Amino acid sequence: MVVMILERVPASLRGELSRWLIEPHPGVFIGHVSGMVRDRLWEKCCRRRDTGGILQAWSTNNEQRFTIRTYGDTRRAIVDFEGLQLVCVKPVQNSRK
Amino acid sequence: MRIQDLHELPKLRDGLSYLYLEHGRIDRRARAVEFINQEGRVLIPVASLAVLMLGPGTSITHEAIKTLADNGCLVNWCGEEGVRFYAQGVGETRKGYRLIRQAELVSDPARRLEVVRRMYQFRFEEELDPALTLQQIRGMEGARVRRAYAEASRRYGVFWMGRAYDRGRWYAADPINRALSAANACLNGLCHAAIVSAGYSPGLGFIHTGKMLSFVYDVADLYKTRLTVPLAFRLTAESPMQVETRVRHACRDLFHRERLLGRILDDIDQLLNLTRPMTRGQADLTVDVDADPALPGELWAPEEEDDTVAGGVNYGGDDS
Repeated sequence: MVVMILERVPASLRGELSRWLIEPHPGVFIGHVSGMVRDRLWEKCCRRRDTGGILQAWSTNNEQRFTIRTYGDTRRAIVDFEGLQLVCVKPVQNSRK
Repeated sequence: MRIQDLHELPKLRDGLSYLYLEHGRIDRRARAVEFINQEGRVLIPVASLAVLMLGPGTSITHEAIKTLADNGCLVNWCGEEGVRFYAQGVGETRKGYRLIRQAELVSDPARRLEVVRRMYQFRFEEELDPALTLQQIRGMEGARVRRAYAEASRRYGVFWMGRAYDRGRWYAADPINRALSAANACLNGLCHAAIVSAGYSPGLGFIHTGKMLSFVYDVADLYKTRLTVPLAFRLTAESPMQVETRVRHACRDLFHRERLLGRILDDIDQLLNLTRPMTRGQADLTVDVDADPALPGELWAPEEEDDTVAGGVNYGGDDS
């Protein structure tokens, strides 16, 4: 299974992605494609994201049973803890004088 | 919010093995357990985690420990990669029959010897002759372990002087000994978590005796030569740099590939002959205490066919 989450990307990119995956929630795509197609979709989104953020997760045969990658501007980063992928919420940049 | 129904917790075999953290604070916020450092906040999936390993420079709050214990996650404090201290919750079951069985077997010398033989047999390729004394088996086991180290040393070309480490000075040990210590810390932690999770006692060992973690050493020894020894030598041969963190990463993949989390409990049940519950009473408990840990347990009643009568009942009769 593949899950992709697109934030603040051009509408045409989301429209195009819906040819491969279903979009049950705005910007959230789910489906099942081969590894090669998955990589192509990833590259396509990275190229055409404008200033948006992209997340892709897919099932793999590791301990967690999935792998995640992100690209662009997201406030959360994926951190690797010796083979365990966890989410790091970056501190808010205080704009106080 | 306490866990009300233990069935909510993922089974050990479906979960994640361990997470090693250093230099940061572990706290609870909005019901989530999080690890905080300069980088930000990392949320820890405690309900599916078997062991949380805390390295140097970590501090943990009361609320976080409470939540970890409640979710059946074992906590190890490791001083420079070696385990120093354990904290365990009550495990993920409130059923006591495994503990009762373990205590029965350990207290009866003849039955204990059977378990010990089965534990040794588990590690040997060939069938052990029933005529062998325990002393002879111990000798064979010693030779087998020495062979395993020598073979791994030869195969990966890592110089082996024997197991040597100074508990007070981690970095004084050579890379292979540090790799072995780091791998065994992961393996022991997982065995300990499995033992607690199923409701066994870590202190009632069969081969090992007299320490609070004797049973953990018994179980970890079943897998050492097959899993952690070759792995430690392989990674040390690749590079002596950062062996500890590379070993932990490789252990995660190896334990997953070998389905260790699923196998440990099956293997223990097999060794203690517990693949079938002891009595009819335990086989079809009328109350599932894991669905509601507050339910009253049964009372021991040797005169009954299944050795128990219902608890939470007043047997005083009618005194009106």
